[in-house]
Amino acid sequence: MAVEEESASGAAAADEARSDDPLIDVRNLQTAFFTDKETIRAVDGVDFQIDSGQTVGIVGESGSGKSVTARSLMGLIESPGRVLRGSSVRYRDLDAVREFAELFSKRTVAVEELAARYDPTEVFGATDATPAEFGHDDPADVPVVDVAAAGYTDEVGITDGDECVFVLDGDVDSPASIRDGFVEITRLSGEAQRKMRGGRIAMVFQDPLTSLNPVYTVGNQIEEALELHQGLSGKEATQEAAELLEAVGIPDARRRVNEYPHQFSGGMRQRAVIAMALACEPDMLICDEPTTALDVTIQAQILDLIAEIQESRDVAVMFITHDMGVIADVSDRVNVMYAGEVVESADVGPLFADPKHPYTNGLLDSIPGGQVGDKLSTIDGSVPTPNEPATHCRFAPRCPKAFDECESVHPVPTPVDEETDDHTAACLLYPDDVSTEEAVERHQEQDRRGDRQ
Amino acid sequence: MSRWEYFIKRLLLTVPVLFSVLTFLFIMLRTGPIDPVAARLGPQAGAADRQQLRERLGLNDPLWEQYVDFITDFITFNFGQSWVVQAERDILDIAVGAAPATLWLGFWAILLPLFIGIPLGFYAGLNPNTFGDYAASLGGIIWQALPNFWLCVIALAVLRRTREGGELLGINWYTLGPDFAARDISITGTPALEWFSTTDVLMLPMPYVSDWTALAIDIKLILPPALILGSASMAAELRIGRTAMLETVNSKFVETAKAKGLPSRVIVWKHIFRNAMIPLLPVITSEAFLLIGGSVIVEQIFNINGLGRIFFQSLTQGDLPMAGALLFLFTLIILGLNILQDFLYTVIDPRVGYDQ
Repeated sequence: MAVEEESASGAAAADEARSDDPLIDVRNLQTAFFTDKETIRAVDGVDFQIDSGQTVGIVGESGSGKSVTARSLMGLIESPGRVLRGSSVRYRDLDAVREFAELFSKRTVAVEELAARYDPTEVFGATDATPAEFGHDDPADVPVVDVAAAGYTDEVGITDGDECVFVLDGDVDSPASIRDGFVEITRLSGEAQRKMRGGRIAMVFQDPLTSLNPVYTVGNQIEEALELHQGLSGKEATQEAAELLEAVGIPDARRRVNEYPHQFSGGMRQRAVIAMALACEPDMLICDEPTTALDVTIQAQILDLIAEIQESRDVAVMFITHDMGVIADVSDRVNVMYAGEVVESADVGPLFADPKHPYTNGLLDSIPGGQVGDKLSTIDGSVPTPNEPATHCRFAPRCPKAFDECESVHPVPTPVDEETDDHTAACLLYPDDVSTEEAVERHQEQDRRGDRQ
Repeated sequence: MSRWEYFIKRLLLTVPVLFSVLTFLFIMLRTGPIDPVAARLGPQAGAADRQQLRERLGLNDPLWEQYVDFITDFITFNFGQSWVVQAERDILDIAVGAAPATLWLGFWAILLPLFIGIPLGFYAGLNPNTFGDYAASLGGIIWQALPNFWLCVIALAVLRRTREGGELLGINWYTLGPDFAARDISITGTPALEWFSTTDVLMLPMPYVSDWTALAIDIKLILPPALILGSASMAAELRIGRTAMLETVNSKFVETAKAKGLPSRVIVWKHIFRNAMIPLLPVITSEAFLLIGGSVIVEQIFNINGLGRIFFQSLTQGDLPMAGALLFLFTLIILGLNILQDFLYTVIDPRVGYDQ
């Protein structure tokens, strides 16, 4: 029954989607690193959305998979790591879809066309795809676009692995007529990937002291991005670089544009890195712990700057941090990650006012700054390294509320109660308006990843 | 302090170094075990002759006067005459005559490792833990482990055999390129270096290559000793190049460059290459120092009449002014290389001279 409900709401969401799609739609993202000794499933089945102009925070301890999630979105995962088949990250900005369809017409496909060639029993028979991972019981119910975006159709020859622009509505041959579609980020490569990186999605890294090349001037490094994505060069580019530096609050920008990174202070360097990220007017900015390496007063300035940029330029921001205080300050919505999974997802208000997952509770209790002399509470133990697909709750060994089933049932993100649908927790205790036995049963039924490799 | 102020400071610092070297040379020559008078006149000379020579050489002057004379002589390149090696000949003339062969050898011994060792090292660093990497690294270690004097002898033996039908991989070294057998030239010997002439371009004499065959002969003559002389540097540059590359490839700013959407060609050549050159620079210049010492052996075995060989002879035959003058010239070369290194550093790395 629960499954039917979910697929029904899924279909409803698909109908609405055309009007206000999220900018980024991450579905079942799995990134693993393969070494001789072990496989590390750093990101293991993550779902979340980011609307344009929204700030989404990703929070969790070190080793919970936050940075790997960000790098997967940027296409920066390198051998021995890779984004696994079954993952889908959809970039839904219509402008971008049209631009990509125009530039990479050979890599653009109409979903209708795929549907004509598609035979669900063939795909689900020949690959390790399961209808459950797409939220359905019957293979025939799974939309072809989901299967193709996740990469399963490559194995049976319906797609050849090169397609990265999927057109849902509109004529593939005249990009301007496209009304709905997406760019599948996990299938990008080569020129198309470089177009997305920096041009559409930009990233600000953790350590500003090392993320600028020491042997080129700050201006040179900004101009490089301008030249690549906006075709500016020479004086024009220098002019624009100086303006960008000014926009991120660097005084005397016209002179400093010719200075080297070592002549900038830490906070200034992070501002320069942000200016570089903004150089191509991205739709989305991924900030990977941008304030961790800075001292507290500078942290506040950089956070203000990011908020200001977001407001004035209307960019979506994915903000990664392990600092709950920072998350509360900057985000609209928060995803709490633990051992490669999103364990709780909610708007920032409800999450801080009424955290549901025991892990979120633990994180909030561990924020320093209570009464003087109070002993700071901690979560005992440390984040496990996920080597196998989860068949149990990965937080159970550290969880104060764990019970027997936590060791044998893998919890899936579930609305915390029947009335709320934008606050989910992956914990067997929820939904909390049904009995624990029934809740456990629902999780068991919905665990869509099962024992896939 | 700006980069160029730093460079000028380094330049000025070479002056005291030069004087220290000169003082050291003076002390060595005056307190060494060899009596200059006995060395020149031989043991049978009479007391009057000896006294006369002492007077002529200024050995009876006060020590400070001798020191001042010595310093002024050396910095004006007035080295006096050789005692033994080429007796009574002006040392400067001998050095100027022998220098081109050594420079020609040194030039190729630096150039070959530069263009073989560094590209191989960079390739290995860009493709770590692949077959190519292992092959290059292992080859580098083995090549470095072979001593120069042994390599010289083996190389000569192998190349000589190619004449009598013992062709190496089907190559007869004598007839490969310019034919040495037909011209009846030895595969060892001093390169003539007479392949260029000068012409006046805008009133300035400009050298140009007038005899390409002579140039080819000189290159063929110098290749085996240059390859051997540069073998250690080649291996060192390969290994340091690999490490430098690996380190730079994994640095954060390379990830930033990728996140900007730069193509990998730009990332490698603009962002990685220049940074990887910074640790390589002192390796290249310090290897160049070693060539001066190494060339003594290689010149001796390959029968090249260069500075190294003359230095070796003057040391073994007790020709003190000759050895001293050559040491001074070597010091000048090393200081020059040091300045070149500082200059290149200043150009490549903007952080040079930045103290905070």
